[in-house]
Amino acid sequence: MNEQAAYLTETINAIVSGAGSLLPELLLAGFFLLLVTLDLFRSVKIKSLLPWIALTAFFASMVVQIQAGNNAETTFFLELLVSDGIAHYAGILFSAVGTFSVLLSVLNKSIDRLKKGQGEYYGLILMLVLGLNLMAKSVNLLMVFLAIEVVSIASYILTITLKEKKRSVEAGIKYILYGTLSAGVMLYGMSFFYGLTGTLTYSDNDFWASMIQVSPLMVMLAAVLVFAGFFFKISAAPFHFWAPDVYQGAPLPIVALFSTGPKMAGIIVIMRFLSAFADPVMASYFKDVQLLLALGALATLAIGNFTALWQQVPRRLFAFSSISHAGFLLVGLLAFGVDYKASVLFYLTVLLFMNFGTFLILQLAEDELQINRLEGFSGLGRAYPFLGVMAVLYLISLTGLPPLAGFMGKLLIFSNVWEAYTLHNNMVLLMLLVAGVLLTGVALFYYIKIPYYLFFKGNQTDKKLVISLSNKLLLAAFALPLLVLFFKPDLLLQYINQLLTKAL
Amino acid sequence: MNFILSSLICTPLLAALVVLLMPGYLQKPIKAVALLGTLVQMGLSLLLYVSFDGNAYADGRSGYQYVEKLNWIGLSLGSLGQFQIEYFVGVDGISVSMVLLTGIVGVIGVISSWTIQKQVKGYFLLYLLLLTSVMGCFLALDLFLFYLFFEFMLLPMYFLIGIWGGPKREYAAIKFFIYTLVGSLFILIVMIGLYTSVIDPQATARQLGLVGNGVPVPVAVILEVQQMLQDNTIATTDLVRTFSIPAMMDSANFIPDSLLHIMSDVTLWDKPIRFVAFLLLFAGFAIKVPVVPVHTWLPDAHVEAPTPISVLLAAVLLKVGGYGLVRIVYPVFPDAAAYFSVFVGGLGVLSIIYAALCALAMNDLKKLIAYSSVSHMGFVLLGLASLTTEGVNGAIYMMFSHGIISAMLFLVVGVIYDRAHNRMIVNFRGLASAMPAYTAFVVIAFFASLGLPGFSGFISELLVLLGGFRAPEATGLLPRWLTIVAVIGLLLAAAYYLWALQRMFFGKYWIFPELREQAVISDLNLREYLMLVPLAILALLFGIFPSLLLNKIGVAVTGFSELVLQNGQEQLNIVLSSIL
Repeated sequence: MNEQAAYLTETINAIVSGAGSLLPELLLAGFFLLLVTLDLFRSVKIKSLLPWIALTAFFASMVVQIQAGNNAETTFFLELLVSDGIAHYAGILFSAVGTFSVLLSVLNKSIDRLKKGQGEYYGLILMLVLGLNLMAKSVNLLMVFLAIEVVSIASYILTITLKEKKRSVEAGIKYILYGTLSAGVMLYGMSFFYGLTGTLTYSDNDFWASMIQVSPLMVMLAAVLVFAGFFFKISAAPFHFWAPDVYQGAPLPIVALFSTGPKMAGIIVIMRFLSAFADPVMASYFKDVQLLLALGALATLAIGNFTALWQQVPRRLFAFSSISHAGFLLVGLLAFGVDYKASVLFYLTVLLFMNFGTFLILQLAEDELQINRLEGFSGLGRAYPFLGVMAVLYLISLTGLPPLAGFMGKLLIFSNVWEAYTLHNNMVLLMLLVAGVLLTGVALFYYIKIPYYLFFKGNQTDKKLVISLSNKLLLAAFALPLLVLFFKPDLLLQYINQLLTKAL
Repeated sequence: MNFILSSLICTPLLAALVVLLMPGYLQKPIKAVALLGTLVQMGLSLLLYVSFDGNAYADGRSGYQYVEKLNWIGLSLGSLGQFQIEYFVGVDGISVSMVLLTGIVGVIGVISSWTIQKQVKGYFLLYLLLLTSVMGCFLALDLFLFYLFFEFMLLPMYFLIGIWGGPKREYAAIKFFIYTLVGSLFILIVMIGLYTSVIDPQATARQLGLVGNGVPVPVAVILEVQQMLQDNTIATTDLVRTFSIPAMMDSANFIPDSLLHIMSDVTLWDKPIRFVAFLLLFAGFAIKVPVVPVHTWLPDAHVEAPTPISVLLAAVLLKVGGYGLVRIVYPVFPDAAAYFSVFVGGLGVLSIIYAALCALAMNDLKKLIAYSSVSHMGFVLLGLASLTTEGVNGAIYMMFSHGIISAMLFLVVGVIYDRAHNRMIVNFRGLASAMPAYTAFVVIAFFASLGLPGFSGFISELLVLLGGFRAPEATGLLPRWLTIVAVIGLLLAAAYYLWALQRMFFGKYWIFPELREQAVISDLNLREYLMLVPLAILALLFGIFPSLLLNKIGVAVTGFSELVLQNGQEQLNIVLSSIL
């Protein structure tokens, strides 16, 4: 009895002491409740307030994250969650993701026309970001599972926001089916890990120490199952099949959200999971797992880039483009032995601006001119030079050419891979490097199609496009960091490094 | 004179900014701003050329003049130490000629663009951006900066061909973009390998506290740091990795365990990894030059590009490829350069002969000239591969002279195309009687290009061949038969030029009936004289007084070829013995 009481007090103390680190999540949850409650009122005034409340929530959580990053040290919450530099930086990114999604939604006509469920819509974005925050903080497999499920469930509902559209229902069904399957598989794999090691906390040394003891085949099996779930979240091959359909069916702000938020969070989960491999002794025990991941990265790169070549629908094109970026990020995560965290986080930041910029352009094109084929862009660049130049900037950055930040991101990732190759002399790494670099050439081929239509082809519609000032400002706001981060990447990298020194 | 190099880069950029702010309907003023910008740039390049001291010692690794060096991106990589990217520009004898060429051709290009009607603002904006990046390429001494300019060239060029080009412009633009991008991706791989392997001894000395900030680092300290590096006594966190090209030329600056160190035992496909890196880098620049068999983008790009863009492409953009070989590939990997000299020289001769044969078969006058460009750029490769003083001098001379002459050739094609909207050789005959002044300039351009004594083409070909013939004894890098085969190229050049001349210009005046309605055959106008006369004078001037150029480039080229040759032979032995 006494023992139990002591255990209870200990647990309660741990919860109380760690609870402070959950402030951003609590904030988001509170605002979520507020939004859902306000949605019950019928007043039009309140309805128009909803997005601004969501924005306030994201702004507040970003401020809290920056504050926490500046002064707090690493705090644990019951060995389940950790608030360290990575988590804080990821939290800042996710708040930005949320903010940008809400801004895009405000400018989106079909979301604006939505009579019912706006509160629900913005509330779910908050919930999704909350889940992302938890993903970035998790160091326990079960917690990872829970966080991923929070994100997934919010994603399923957000996909079918526009219920009257056939495509969005189809996309929703596909997403749920794939999603639940991969979640089940992942959970199954986690149960293996628990059985093999007796713990689910993978930041624990015991976890890896006992893993060395068991048969490599079992480890491989469990890893395959768990990574199936992770790969699903970052839309990496062979678990990418949902992406094109969902990208085609969901509202564009949500597509932009999917192409950044869950992908970033998934990459951070994998990064934390693989951090044990930084130790070369440890890494040498799990050669097969590494090879498996390398093959996954290679397949993702190849499928993403080559399939994108045949796409005629912009949304599907960018679905495959985002798959290929997942591939690049995976390549970056495989440079074991090199301290690659800052580079990966830098790449994620760049990805955020490029993707939101591109999807804002797609949204403009769809809302105003009903463009859903690449040919639809014909002549737009000549007629609207601002739009055209912005599109070129984003696409060049996505391709990874100077003078835009996409190039810097790739340069840093490839440098890490080269360093790792120097360390281990592993041919697989060299292959990944060469494939990654050369596929940039393939990537140019499909990205350049859009400027090709924008500038080389004659105008086909007589419709006038009016780009509102807010759209223009937002387009410029997404493009500016891409230029700044090319010319002065050290500004951001120093900040990231500063946060990371607090991470353990 | 302190910031003359930055001014050279910034002048067209500034003009581009002014153009950007002007409303699009002010066509004449936009053209005037572009002309003014390029004129100032030409003036600055002339000033630089005149004040450049050609007698000061230079060898590629040192001896740069008007150097500007600023920290741009400095980054701590944690356990890997730091890396720095600098705004680092400077000229030596090799680049000063290219800078002058860019200045001159920039102005000619604007005059030639005077007739552009479509989207004038966009055109001149892109044109000026292109000129900025070309100039940047010739001046950059930091590999990252070089790569930035090198890649940035593609984008304006893509739009210039794709929007203002001929009927198949879209295809040509994409082909150009993809080809050259793949080339620069090869360069990117090696760039990553190089900067992670090379340290800046000066910055490392400062990092170690051997020298205070702001104090110049004495040579003794540099040697000390290099010795410490090779002895592995510097902590990794203190190593300052660099993109500086001159630092990469010194094998003592390579980190001992790095893959590109000369003692690295890593092999790929049974070749030392340095050789593989050389081949990748070579391939990247060879696409730009272009060298047969990766030249196929060039005829398409030339045929579809508008005249001024063809001029710029042939006269300066191709030179960036050749310049990259001289500035980066050869001095950074001298061992591989010595090892692969027959391969490089052989590709050069292959380009000379194959492209000349292609030119002989062409019906389109512009395609003929495009192939003749490929053929002439082959001489650059041959001269460089010989690594003799004459050969390398010839290579640089060829780049300069070809820049002047090819600009003239493409302008001449533009003249007939403007009048007849056609440039098929078979559609014209006896143009000499209808356009006597035009024919005179065609003859000058053709003869200058085929290497008639008295024109700059002759000097350059002579120097390259001299170098090639002397190579077996002097450097032992090339077999003699290779140069003998190259001489056939001169014969072929005479054949395709004279044959084209005979078919198009001599005989009784006749043009293809269907062209007669729209063709207005008139002789040269003032604008055309304004472009052709200066170029003809330059071709003659540099043909009669080769010392005008050789006095500026000679010392640097001698230093360069001796250094590369000496390092090449020394390092080759080390590299080959390390992999055993």
